[in-house]
Amino acid sequence: MILRIGVIFLAGIFLVFSFYGCDSCGWGPTYPKEKLEESIVRICKNEYKIDVKVHTVGKTIAIYLPLENLIDFSFALTKDASEKINNVILSVSRVVLSTDAKIDFYCIIAHDIRIPEIQVIIIKSVDDVKRLLLNDISRGEYGKRILIDMRMNPQSQKERSVKEIFHRMRLDPQWQEQVMNDFFRSDPTMLGDIGYWEGRFYVKDITKPEFLAEQMASRLKIDFKENKDLSDNFFLKSVKGAYLEKGSERYFSLEVFAEPRWFEDLESSSLTDKLLQAILNIAAHVMHVYKFEDFNYIEINERRSSRMVRISKGMLEDYRKKKIKFDEIVR
Amino acid sequence: MRLLIIATASLYSIALAVTVIFGLWIVEIGLYSLLLGGLGVAFLLSRKIRMYFRWHGVRYGIITAIYVLIRLSILGLSKLESFYRQITLATMPVQLLMVSLNAVIFVYMYLTFMRGGFSKLSSKLQIHGEQVNVKWSDVIGMENTKAEAREVVELIKDRARVKLIGGKILRGILMIGPPGCGKTYLAKAIATEAGLPFISMSGSEFVEIFVGVGAARVRALFKKARELAYGHGGCIVFIDELDAIARKRVFSVFGGTEETNSTQNQLLAEMDGLQEREDKSGEAKIEQNVIVIGATNAPEETLDRALMRPGRFDRKLYVELPNLEDREKLFAFYLGKTKYDPSIDMSRLARKAVYKSPADIENIVKEAALIATRDRREVIRLDDISEAMERIDLGLKHKLSMSPREKEKTAYHEAGHLIALYILHPTDDVFKASIIPRRSTLGVVHHQPREEVFTFDKQRLLADIKADLAGYVAEKIKFGTTSSGVAMDFKDAMTRAHNMVWKWGMGDKGLLGDYTAIPESQLSEKLKEELNAETNRIFERCVKEVEELLTKERALLDRFAKELMEKEELDYDEIDAIFKEYGKFGIQKSV
Repeated sequence: MILRIGVIFLAGIFLVFSFYGCDSCGWGPTYPKEKLEESIVRICKNEYKIDVKVHTVGKTIAIYLPLENLIDFSFALTKDASEKINNVILSVSRVVLSTDAKIDFYCIIAHDIRIPEIQVIIIKSVDDVKRLLLNDISRGEYGKRILIDMRMNPQSQKERSVKEIFHRMRLDPQWQEQVMNDFFRSDPTMLGDIGYWEGRFYVKDITKPEFLAEQMASRLKIDFKENKDLSDNFFLKSVKGAYLEKGSERYFSLEVFAEPRWFEDLESSSLTDKLLQAILNIAAHVMHVYKFEDFNYIEINERRSSRMVRISKGMLEDYRKKKIKFDEIVR
Repeated sequence: MRLLIIATASLYSIALAVTVIFGLWIVEIGLYSLLLGGLGVAFLLSRKIRMYFRWHGVRYGIITAIYVLIRLSILGLSKLESFYRQITLATMPVQLLMVSLNAVIFVYMYLTFMRGGFSKLSSKLQIHGEQVNVKWSDVIGMENTKAEAREVVELIKDRARVKLIGGKILRGILMIGPPGCGKTYLAKAIATEAGLPFISMSGSEFVEIFVGVGAARVRALFKKARELAYGHGGCIVFIDELDAIARKRVFSVFGGTEETNSTQNQLLAEMDGLQEREDKSGEAKIEQNVIVIGATNAPEETLDRALMRPGRFDRKLYVELPNLEDREKLFAFYLGKTKYDPSIDMSRLARKAVYKSPADIENIVKEAALIATRDRREVIRLDDISEAMERIDLGLKHKLSMSPREKEKTAYHEAGHLIALYILHPTDDVFKASIIPRRSTLGVVHHQPREEVFTFDKQRLLADIKADLAGYVAEKIKFGTTSSGVAMDFKDAMTRAHNMVWKWGMGDKGLLGDYTAIPESQLSEKLKEELNAETNRIFERCVKEVEELLTKERALLDRFAKELMEKEELDYDEIDAIFKEYGKFGIQKSV
């Protein structure tokens, strides 16, 4: 009996040590929030030999990736740049998925060190990445949820203009920097202002509604490439998405400017309906897949014909469920 | 997440616990062997350990593999990034469920179709000799059989002595005898005295609807027995009701008996020398020290001859019904387990219980105890035992409303039997006369010899016929007519008379020999007529003699009929007193 108790005691100790061994291997988050930025930098450096800078604002993490040949002569991403961007995305994904930090979005800012004014911004929702890995969404759908934009750095444009003014004012160079810092360098308020310029991150904490507003605009751009009915009839000039608050009301605003390809279609309202219907389809889909309900209506402005359509949340859901038709909405 | 970790930890703990228990066992065995010290004990222990591994090696291999896999899984999981670890853990329960389900289905199919799952033997079959705990002293009577069994035990235990004289170990012992004579009990005593593991199976357990299952079970049985013999130095396999698989084989073209044949063939092969394996010294391996004890109450000639030859069932132990002395001991033994009236004369009980087996006697005592309990008494009395015997022999009394005329007829019928038996029968005593309906009879005269009679002489047979016919004659004398109640009496009497003439040469015309051994078509009509005439003569002469007897003893007949109508039952003492009242003492009963 004593022998049995003794051996069971030893077995208990063995058991405890076994689990201690497991715990030391790490049952907690692999990348604790205290080492979040450091982890991304380390993975990119160690595994891909890429130097990045990381900056966190609220629930958004931004990664600055300087590259030597970001774009080629046709303004397309070079193969090498694409590969490096993908590696960084993979590294960031690994870290944000296995951390206890609350990160909702991450943003890759890549720019060419030769022409720093041009930057590529990639914004992803961490939830979308998880759902892709769990096969909850298709790769195609996932691709449409990523915001990819290549644009001139807004801060660089702003500083160039300001510097031109300083030049005309013949401002003492030692004051120029201070004035620039005090008056012209601030955190962005819109997703479009996100960027990296001269050693400083211009990043905001991305919210879900503004991400969705941008995504709707992005999806429309993609639609214009994929949907022959749209691309054959229109030139998409611009599309902007925003989430706005007016008093107690919250709404999405989508402003579209698309020119008909053919002169005879200029006055055709049916063609405009086609465009509005495409936007409406996208809006209904996005609101549904993200289960987003914190809005009162969606406002669609078609700039060319100055038509404005406002659809309430309920109507949008009914339209998605095909309870009401497009004609009933625009009437 | 925490729950998943706990679930994984639980699995891990179970595996560990099993490993610990196994470890404990090994450590204990080791320590005990050290403590006991003796080389022989250590040798046997090492054999036991090896046997244990043979039996449980796969089990512990699986447990170890599971433990290692779980440990590796935990290590692997801990190396994963937390998100992927969570995904893996989240899907693990479903995966486990699916894998378990697949495994269960696979194992079931495998055991059923590949490993002869139906032929699997119950693990409860094996009992160690010490646990049987039936000693020689517990086996009452059958001294001759016990002496032979003792010798067998000595041979089983002392293999070295057998080897020294170049003998071969016993393969099997066949116990033949009527049911309830203690064959199983004797087998248990053999196992206890030999101190060897005891595997008990009934012959019917080998019989299954599926072809080949019986043979597979025989193989499994002997495999287990050899393993036990390896670990314990020998093993006793007891197959009760052996006749279920040992009847003479029938080689039918229709193949209807193939299953029984194949079971028996396997038994023959297992017991045969073909299965014998020898070690380097040429000695039969210890695992061959398996002794099969078969028990059957079927006649020896119905068993297959191949099974009876030396090398299989070498010894035959004939277990007989207990004699007077044994019955006395048996009554004393079974009554000793109860509270009984000390004035009960065991020898009287033994005399009343002629042809009773030990099981019958046990049943009588049990029945008597129930009767005493029903009557709210704490001790068993003689009349309880008498009633118990009647219940067992004659059946329970049941109410049947008979007309006075019918009752009178029955009383005269039974009185006729009674007088004939008492006055004419050379061996049997009348223990009871009754006109209370039991089973399918309206009345009965219970008689039996004072001691076992193994042969029937002419005098006894004639007395039996006369006793049978006395009921008929009594009815005829009293009422001038007879009833259908004589049917069974006539049948018995005619059968006896027929056998006397046709089989036993007891006719008066000197026709000797067993004429039933010859096909009837080969007997001449004349001979048959003569034989039948002789049978009739015996029958008629007996009727005449009984008529003379009952006419002469008419007063006695009327008296017994009257007594029976009044009391419905008469016991031995009452019957004897009435006869003595009339100056009749019967003939001197012989054994």
